[in-house]
Amino acid sequence: MSSVKQYKCLNCNAGLKFDPPSQLWKCEYCFGEFTKEQLDSIQKVDEQLDQEMPDLESYHCNNCGAELITDGTTSATFCLYCKSPTVIKARFTGRFKPKYLIPFKLTKKQAEELYKNWIRKKLLAPSAFKQKEEIEKITGVYAPFWLFDCKVKAHIGGEATRVRTWTQGNYRITQTQYYRVARAGRIEYDKIPVDASKKLDDGLMQLVEPYNYQDLTDFSMQYMSGFMAEKYDVESKDAQAVMQSRVEGYAEQRLRGTIQGYTSTTISHKQVDFEEITDSYAMLPIYLLVNKHKDKNHTFIINGQTGKVVGETPLSRGKQLAFAGCVFAAVWFLIVFGGALFA
Amino acid sequence: MLRRLLSVAAACLMMLALVSTAQAGTSDNVKDLLNYLTTDEVNDLQGRIEGIGASRGLDVVIVITDDIGSKSPTAYADDYFDYNGYGIGSDRSGLLLLVSMGTRDVVISTSGKAISIFTDSRLDDILDEVSSYLSDGEYYKACLEFLEQVDYYATLGAPGGSGSGSGSYLSRAASIAKSPVVYVIAAVIALIATLAVSSASRGTASITNRTYEESGSFELILSRDDYLRETTSRVKINSSSGAASGGSKGSSVHRSSSGRTHGGRSRKF
Repeated sequence: MSSVKQYKCLNCNAGLKFDPPSQLWKCEYCFGEFTKEQLDSIQKVDEQLDQEMPDLESYHCNNCGAELITDGTTSATFCLYCKSPTVIKARFTGRFKPKYLIPFKLTKKQAEELYKNWIRKKLLAPSAFKQKEEIEKITGVYAPFWLFDCKVKAHIGGEATRVRTWTQGNYRITQTQYYRVARAGRIEYDKIPVDASKKLDDGLMQLVEPYNYQDLTDFSMQYMSGFMAEKYDVESKDAQAVMQSRVEGYAEQRLRGTIQGYTSTTISHKQVDFEEITDSYAMLPIYLLVNKHKDKNHTFIINGQTGKVVGETPLSRGKQLAFAGCVFAAVWFLIVFGGALFA
Repeated sequence: MLRRLLSVAAACLMMLALVSTAQAGTSDNVKDLLNYLTTDEVNDLQGRIEGIGASRGLDVVIVITDDIGSKSPTAYADDYFDYNGYGIGSDRSGLLLLVSMGTRDVVISTSGKAISIFTDSRLDDILDEVSSYLSDGEYYKACLEFLEQVDYYATLGAPGGSGSGSGSYLSRAASIAKSPVVYVIAAVIALIATLAVSSASRGTASITNRTYEESGSFELILSRDDYLRETTSRVKINSSSGAASGGSKGSSVHRSSSGRTHGGRSRKF
């Protein structure tokens, strides 16, 4: 059994790519289109991923025999020589077998347009950067995520005040009532995603959320064909710590939301106990773009399902100054000439 | 003999009457009913007043009298201005200086745009100067001083942007522009806006604490609000704050018997 998998056209044997708009597999040569069922019917055997296969030093393209250029986490790629979409099966087996996946919804073309529109609106980005034409380097990547389900019991306590003021004769009276407030609740969270790749910036990966889980389906390697994919290199227990601190914040805010009718609330203690945690490994689609600007790499990520764009937009000092200057002038103008109307 | 005396007396009276009417006739704005000023002085003052009227749009009146009837000096000054048709423009802008010798009051009544130019503190400064001359019996100098001060403040316009007519919108704006507070506010807002736009350039988070919550799973198992204590504080309301009563920037106003609004200050000399 080969450790590298290439999905071939059932008509002409060329490489097949997953096509996001039709959610079908397309052959670029004979324009054949195939459903998942059609592919499954002849390639069922290859989808047995439960048994871990040894990760080899190097992999070779099934099509042309060239060595595949990969690093330790690359799980789906293209052959550098014959451009065939190639899936490294060994890296999807055993503990690296993902449970879920959300297929790409957007094409590379759509992602480029989304990025272009987004960066155009960034006021403070250098013009040279905005006009960069290197965005065709945008790549569709299935990024590894840990999805956590958990049940928590949370408790918060603190002091709240209720302030009333009224006028009595020549006096303004302010009455402040102090209350001790306590709230506790049980909350269940469903599929909190945590970035499982060290290569990808956690902050950006969190900004690109949320994914719509209605498209979540069981993992199948076929979807990887035509995209890059990474396997996780952040262990579940490390990702769990990230998830727990996020959930602590969510739970506290959720309980705080039930403290109502007060002028101010100060929370002095909180406790979040995790009662049940389950993780599942999933591949979620992103388009990745790395643009160089002044010798520094700037990463942009486009959610491959929803199209949300986030990224390390470079900031132009000059534009920041000009922007601050414009705001300053506008505010100054408004106060001076607007104020003179009413003075 | 008696007839000659009578005729001389009549002639004198007529002369006096002629002189006084002659004086009154030469000046519309300087009403020196006690003849403290010479004809030349009256003419000089009238000339200056006409100059102020032309350049500043303010009708200035000087009244020196010892008979203000049963009215208060302020009411007399207001009414003298109103009922004799003084004032320039639709808001009848102008000032009246009343020297009431009977009560030894000196009153300045303001009308129209003079109300906002001549704030209480400015009027007090003018009265300081004018009343010191009056105390010394220097009526002409007192009047000259008054006109000079009127001209000076009319040039400055209303303080702190409280307006005085057509060209003053710009002068109000200019006086606001001089305040450093404007620059501080603009700088702070500019800084905050720039920081906000800069940080938003990464993209903004669209998840909330409810995004991953299993819908319907939230169950509040404890909700306690225990009353602890209360504190009450009483603060006296400063009744003068906000009212237009003689602050350094304000002009206090009152209504005259004709129903018109006047500003003004008075004092003894």
